[in-house]
Amino acid sequence: MRILVVEDDADLRRQLGEALKDSGYAVDLADNGEDGHFLGDTEPYDAVVLDLGLPIIDGISVLQKWRADGKTFPVLILTARDQWSEKVSGFDAGADDYLTKPFHHEELLARLRALLRRAAGHTTDSIDIGGLHVDNRAARCFVDGMPVKLTSHEFRLLSYMAMHRGRVISRTELVEHIYDQDFDRDSNTIEVFVGRLRRKIGTNRIETVRGLGYRLIDPDNVPVKK
Amino acid sequence: MTDGADTKHNPSLVKRLVRSAVLWTIPILAVTAMALTWFYRESTYKLFDDPLESAITELIASVQSDDGNSSNGELFEDAEIPQNTLFLTREPIDPRYQRALSGRYWMIGSYQDDGTLTSLLASRSLSGEIIQLPSNVKRSIAAKTEFYTRAMGPDENEPLRVFARSVILPSGEPVLMLAAADVREAQRDVGRFALVATALMLLLSGGLVFAVFSQVRTGLKPLFDLRDRVVDIREGRADRVEGTYPQEIAPLANELNSLIGHNKDVVERAQTHVSNLAHGLKTPLAVLLNEAEGSKSKFSEVVSRQANTMKNQVDHHLQRARAAARGQSIGVSTPVADSIGPLARTLGRIYRDKDIDFDVSVVEGLIFRGEKRDFEEMIGNLMDNACKWTKSKVRVIAKGDGKDNGLFMLEVSDDGAGLTQDQYSEALKRGARLDEATPGTGFGLPIVDDLARAYKGSLILGKSDMGGLRVTLTLPGRIDE
Repeated sequence: MRILVVEDDADLRRQLGEALKDSGYAVDLADNGEDGHFLGDTEPYDAVVLDLGLPIIDGISVLQKWRADGKTFPVLILTARDQWSEKVSGFDAGADDYLTKPFHHEELLARLRALLRRAAGHTTDSIDIGGLHVDNRAARCFVDGMPVKLTSHEFRLLSYMAMHRGRVISRTELVEHIYDQDFDRDSNTIEVFVGRLRRKIGTNRIETVRGLGYRLIDPDNVPVKK
Repeated sequence: MTDGADTKHNPSLVKRLVRSAVLWTIPILAVTAMALTWFYRESTYKLFDDPLESAITELIASVQSDDGNSSNGELFEDAEIPQNTLFLTREPIDPRYQRALSGRYWMIGSYQDDGTLTSLLASRSLSGEIIQLPSNVKRSIAAKTEFYTRAMGPDENEPLRVFARSVILPSGEPVLMLAAADVREAQRDVGRFALVATALMLLLSGGLVFAVFSQVRTGLKPLFDLRDRVVDIREGRADRVEGTYPQEIAPLANELNSLIGHNKDVVERAQTHVSNLAHGLKTPLAVLLNEAEGSKSKFSEVVSRQANTMKNQVDHHLQRARAAARGQSIGVSTPVADSIGPLARTLGRIYRDKDIDFDVSVVEGLIFRGEKRDFEEMIGNLMDNACKWTKSKVRVIAKGDGKDNGLFMLEVSDDGAGLTQDQYSEALKRGARLDEATPGTGFGLPIVDDLARAYKGSLILGKSDMGGLRVTLTLPGRIDE
């Protein structure tokens, strides 16, 4: 899952970046409205954390532009403005949630998970596929009840595939959603990560669809090919 | 908002102007009536006296002593000539001197030092009577050659005006010549004139007072209009004094608009400062809190605890600073329905997992007399609170309170667990959040209570018929038709 954080305060931006990375997300950071708008406009983020009081272009305008351009990723507004009128204008501009400063990281992470979950059409933070249990809240994975140790990139890959279970996901899409902007994007590394994941959670859980990409499946309940 | 002045005991400008107009109009008109009457009386008596003086002149010209050789050798038989005394060569022309008790008399008499007047010669109209002068003419006779006096005539109750002249006859005999006429007709004329003049002056006074009253009302109408416009502003129907005013009042209207503009600027500046302060403090606090929470050291614990205390203090004092700036704006009003709709929509998004059913009922044309931001803060917190605790349904009712006292009622109910009687006062306790170790008690009620009080409104907690909490907010407002 790839998250964009647009926050002008350097310390808070760093903290948010670290906290989100620790929770298994790929994170891009922007320190002003113009850069934030550009990134959101050009990169396929799964969610955005957006401050309102931004330099160059304010947060509400950035959000309105994204929505006007048809961007549908969930946006969580993170701001010191706690008046209801500001919340109303935030939601009316197209926000999906609103969190006021100061806040606890746990609350922000919970809200983000809820947004991502809702966007993917799930009702809980945990996803069960056959004997595979992906806990997005704790960023952990279990196979038949046994914990599996994954690197952050492996977890991101698994989490993204679990969120979109049953759907064929191209390598490009995986690259776009599990790596942040600064990462060297070589699609061959996806194959390496998929191989490692298969070894850790079971080779038959990730299906390769030739020429299209990968699909996370329940090995005991494989759809019959007609 | 209370009235700054006790208008009940203030003097009325209209009354004052009318009273002063009455004070100078009535005496002037009274004096005018008296003066007119006096002039009329003078001219009436002048006309009245002329024939009397002519009669005396004629008497002087025609009186002769009877020494057996009258100057013209004629004797008027009609004249009553005392023996060996006087006679007239020609009687005064006016025939009324000839008709008995006609009201026109003349007499030539001899005035004795003892005050008695003996008739030497008199008009036939006197019918043998004499004109009896009052006793106080003695002084006049001594001092003046001619004078006017009053006397009683030969007829019953016949007041006479008498012109008297002392004459020394060629024979050397001093006589007093009197010409008199019934004065009642002249008195009646003067009396009638005085009555008519007084009546006309009274009518004129009434007309003048009415004219002054109308003039004052018309003159002060722009002031009354200005007062109505100021009331409109205070009640939020307008945000500035509109209209065209006369030269004298236009500067006042302009000054009022400047004052209102200044007030708005001050309030907006204060709110902007508070908002900037909030933004300026809350981000560093968020950094401190999150930085401290990332570590388990004792230092981090202290920083975390102190940062939390700072956060609560900042929240508390920012809220108070905002409250101080609230309720100060004049000329602002907020349509209730315009705020509740967007809030319900926003809360529906915030609590979308609960799939809350909002039942909103707002009387058409209901207006809150205050700032939109404040109204949204109150109703937003109440609705948010209801959404937090509801199972599935939140009801919002806004209506007039039915007492025509410039207030309206806003009820927010939910079907949650509600509160016990003991918890009601606890929920409204200001500063309760400050005593909590963790932020937020789940109720924004103290904030709403503070705001409602700033607007002279009130907040009452009770039990909803849906089972949960019912909060009734009373606020200043009106229903626009």
